[in-house]
Amino acid sequence: MKMFSVAHKTVFVVDHCPYMAESSRQQVECDVLTKSRAQGVIPLAPVSKSLWTCAVECSMEYCRILYDIYPKDKLVSFLGKSNVNYIVSDSEFHILNSWRREDQSTHELMSALAAVGPPNPREDPECCSILHGLVAAVESLCKITELQHERRTALMDTAERVANRGRIICLTNAKSDTHVRMLEDCIQETILDQNKLAAGSDRLMAIQQCELVLVHIYPQGEDTLVSDRPKKEISPLLTSEVHSVRAGRHLATKLNILVQQHFDLTSTTITNIPMKEEQHANTSANYDVELLHHRDAHLEFFKSGGAVGSERDLHMAGTSTRENGLKETVTLKWCTPRTNTIELYYCTGAYRISPTDVNSRPSSCLTNFLLNGRSVLLEQPRKSGSKVISHMLSSHGGEIFLHVLNSNRSTLEDPPSISEGCGGRVTDYRITDFGEFMRENRLTPVSESTHDPSGKLPAERAKAQLERHTRYWPMIISQTTIFNMQAVVPLANLIVKETLTEEDVLTCQKTVYNLVDMERKNDPLPISTVGSRGKGPKRDEQYRIMWNELETLVKTHAGATDRHQRVLDCIIACRSKPPEEEERKKRGRKREEREDRTEKNGNKETDDKSWQESERLKGLLDKEDQESEVIKDSPDSPEPLNKKPRLTTEEVQPPERAKGPVSLLTMWTNRITAANSRKHQEFVGRASSVNNKFELYQHLKDENGMDVHENGKASR
Amino acid sequence: MPTVILMDVSLSMTRPVSLDGIEEFQRKNLAVHGLNMLFEHMASNYRLEFTALMAFSSLWELLVPFTRDYNALQEALSSLEDYDKTCVESALNGVNNLVQQEWGSACPCQLVLVTDGSLGIGKGSLRHSLQTLKHRGDDKKFPLPFPFPTKLFIMCVANAEELQMTDAMDNLEELLRLSGGDGQIFTMDGPLCMKSVQGMFGRLIDYAYSPFHAVLHCGNLSSDVQVFPRPEPVVMDEEVEPMPRTVNVDEVGTGATDELEEEPSASQMAGKSPNFCVLLHGSLKVEGMVALVQLGPEWYGMLYSQADSKKKSNLMMSLFEPGPEPLPWLGKISYLGPISEAAENPYGEDDSKSPFPLQPQVKRSYAQNVTVWIKASGLQTDVQKILRNARKLPDKTQTFYKELNRLRKAALAFGFWELLKGVADLLERECTMLPDSAHPDAAFQLSHAAQQLKLASTGDSQYAAFDHNIVPMHTDFSS
Repeated sequence: MKMFSVAHKTVFVVDHCPYMAESSRQQVECDVLTKSRAQGVIPLAPVSKSLWTCAVECSMEYCRILYDIYPKDKLVSFLGKSNVNYIVSDSEFHILNSWRREDQSTHELMSALAAVGPPNPREDPECCSILHGLVAAVESLCKITELQHERRTALMDTAERVANRGRIICLTNAKSDTHVRMLEDCIQETILDQNKLAAGSDRLMAIQQCELVLVHIYPQGEDTLVSDRPKKEISPLLTSEVHSVRAGRHLATKLNILVQQHFDLTSTTITNIPMKEEQHANTSANYDVELLHHRDAHLEFFKSGGAVGSERDLHMAGTSTRENGLKETVTLKWCTPRTNTIELYYCTGAYRISPTDVNSRPSSCLTNFLLNGRSVLLEQPRKSGSKVISHMLSSHGGEIFLHVLNSNRSTLEDPPSISEGCGGRVTDYRITDFGEFMRENRLTPVSESTHDPSGKLPAERAKAQLERHTRYWPMIISQTTIFNMQAVVPLANLIVKETLTEEDVLTCQKTVYNLVDMERKNDPLPISTVGSRGKGPKRDEQYRIMWNELETLVKTHAGATDRHQRVLDCIIACRSKPPEEEERKKRGRKREEREDRTEKNGNKETDDKSWQESERLKGLLDKEDQESEVIKDSPDSPEPLNKKPRLTTEEVQPPERAKGPVSLLTMWTNRITAANSRKHQEFVGRASSVNNKFELYQHLKDENGMDVHENGKASR
Repeated sequence: MPTVILMDVSLSMTRPVSLDGIEEFQRKNLAVHGLNMLFEHMASNYRLEFTALMAFSSLWELLVPFTRDYNALQEALSSLEDYDKTCVESALNGVNNLVQQEWGSACPCQLVLVTDGSLGIGKGSLRHSLQTLKHRGDDKKFPLPFPFPTKLFIMCVANAEELQMTDAMDNLEELLRLSGGDGQIFTMDGPLCMKSVQGMFGRLIDYAYSPFHAVLHCGNLSSDVQVFPRPEPVVMDEEVEPMPRTVNVDEVGTGATDELEEEPSASQMAGKSPNFCVLLHGSLKVEGMVALVQLGPEWYGMLYSQADSKKKSNLMMSLFEPGPEPLPWLGKISYLGPISEAAENPYGEDDSKSPFPLQPQVKRSYAQNVTVWIKASGLQTDVQKILRNARKLPDKTQTFYKELNRLRKAALAFGFWELLKGVADLLERECTMLPDSAHPDAAFQLSHAAQQLKLASTGDSQYAAFDHNIVPMHTDFSS
């Protein structure tokens, strides 16, 4: 597969000399009189196309098919050859379009062709030659295309890998075989000259390979003066072939065959298409429609054609030879539409199509049916046996594709269930929440012209959003409290945003106040009781778990902007801090209870779980690499430390942050220390210190009205 | 990727291998030992792949059809019998039939040929097959290359020196070349013994049967995954990008879209602790969404839940063809951004719409009412359409001029001025044939249209401009 094969650039050179104005002598009756009106009316004489008209409409048809199937990167340049004496010698040819992508459409070409008009039969033929056009064609092939330029720029030091090849299709009326040889020699010389020029230019590329396809057109009823000749090598740079064709229908067939050869296309005929009759709307007949598409859509068929078994021989019955053996088509049968998505899973490719006879009634019925969003399954015709669906026609965004379906056994059959794998036995995944998460993270096309100040591509920004949204995202319901609470939703939705507005901060603060309110009213929380028997933790414990989790979530975003930080400040300031007295009493009670429970359970499930939890969170924060605070969200860990003053971010890490797993000894020591600490009243300074440091004379600051939250003392 | 094991059971495989006189083994025993090792490896690391076992001498026999049951394969190995001479060509024909009947000709397949390097004598020998390669009719073509993409691994229960003493090595190399060149010939290092046969199959396992492990990332959520079948490297363009593209093992990230589509080469992926894959699968299934996955620079795929008829479902990954825009109706993947940046949700507040599919900038010919007059019927239809509307003037004024201008544009582009004159004549004739009951405007419009066409047919740039349209004559019969 080569990106820059001869098919990348095609130049059409159409002869515009006076003899092309000659009639093709193929007459078209366009005045079809109905019987009722026929009396006394003289029908219009039939019209006939000129050689020029035949050449132009057939080459436009070639382009139409090409642009339908390769809308990008297969380019056509159209040269209309005009008279020498038309203007001065340097403008004796018209270049109708360039390699630029916006020039590559049939509409652009039609418009340019209309401007050129048909050849003038009264021009002096001695002054005209197709040669000027051919020279211009070679020059045109040397010009770099956008894709070539892009790839050369992208490859940098290996830019020479980008090749320059092209094809010239010349539609002319040649005088003789000698005339043809003269044209070939001239192209060969021009290539050599142009390649020399290209060597010294940035915008030109030397031609490595050029394929000349010369089509000699002559009127019906005349004998040809030029003989057909298959492709032969003129030089390592140039190959040439000659086709001598009568104007009209034969020329159209020839160019249709050529476009298939040139662009690896093949033909499929859809048979048995039921369609309402034009005249009698209540009857329906079956029609055939021929489509062209890349030949890979029939790879399976071509590879196995007649190779093995009797089944494959039947495929051959689907191939019919038409137009004197020049053209082949694979026949597939229309299946009445139905939707069964299972069959789509084994689709192995999708190929663009172009109808051979685009504006015939059967063709447009089929294409409109598909463009309206319906799909058609196609079946291989077989004499006997089961029905084999091998293809499907369906449109996506106004383009019709022929889909190849795997009709053999699939190596993907009978896959194991996901529940047999890791994590498959866990039953409380937050499926609905993750669905919501996915919906919020859906993608949408962004115009290439919109510029983002961050300089990041849209997809990068989408990934950055995914990163933000997953900084704290517990996967199972029993792992989280806050995400099970409706009251937290407004804050949880806002805090993941890249930037917050003042209003957002306000909403977050309101959420926090609301939680404080709930705590005061002693509202129950949706704490999971999984892993602990009985009623689970007490209400005040529940709130502490909730606050710790909320703090964890917000901390992962606090570094983003000052406003994010203010949300965190608010939580730290507002979260429950019972008066010392009560606290002490409670602790005494709690300790007894805990000892009780441990005895009863004989294990420490709760502790284990919370250890896992805090280890996991630590891991998360390590990744973040910006927070150096200790995470303590297990019910048994001490009260969270106060928020440290910002100046001391480079402080020594507390021992809990030490890398690696925590030893049993450390766990035990921490526990004992925590228990002991409850037996006496801690010094105020130590209790509220940050990394064992305590800022003195804080009241001065308070009096100055600065940073009242600084030490975590609630100011409300 | 399915594997066919093609085991040589000719007499030469029974040649004894002396191991310092301690114990006597046949080459066959060594080969069976090696294959058992391969099967054990596959049973634990590749259990979702299909493998078939075929034995051959001058004839071939399918011992175990394609299966995931590695016990069955091992059992069949334990009961191999000995036959006559080696005939590789007929066995390859057998493989060709087997694979095509089972998987068709698009599914890539691995062939492991286990032999002792003694490749038969006389007619039917590999040497004979290769010598007569060029003198065959279409009906007796050599089976290589197979129609399906093939990786050929030749396991020789012999060492390289032994094979080089005859032309065996040359013939095997030619065989590999004929199959397309993808694969390798393995020989045994040192003396023929259990250890060296293990070494040889160990090399095969490392080369072709190493499991594909990857990490699936979605922001900070991640999961280790194994992918079956493993994604194979792809060569996009041997000229511009000669290096094959391979899937970078841990650079897989997802984004979500709800475009549901299907594409080439699907691969599939495989306690009690929560796993991100299970969560993702569950939500994709419930929401009916697919997740976009990036495998490397400009290489994408999609993840979705696939259920079989037995209500078992699993997370599937389908790889798209490498490139920046694998599915035209999604546009360039790098230009897909988060919906949060859009002014309003492109999916609608109630999921009632979608920004996909993207429409191409230029409509395809079948979607834009193009004019093609290659066949006479095309031209006749267009002329008749104009005449039909002409007879219904002034009711059909808009349609009449629309069709007239369509014909005019095409005639000008094709340089078909004669047609313009002809249609002008037809319109003038219609004018003379108008019934007395006709609205007076009809006559005005017909002669106006005819005159404009005649002017265009002169090629005069004032009247023959392509983008110019004939507009209805302004008339007022209301008073």
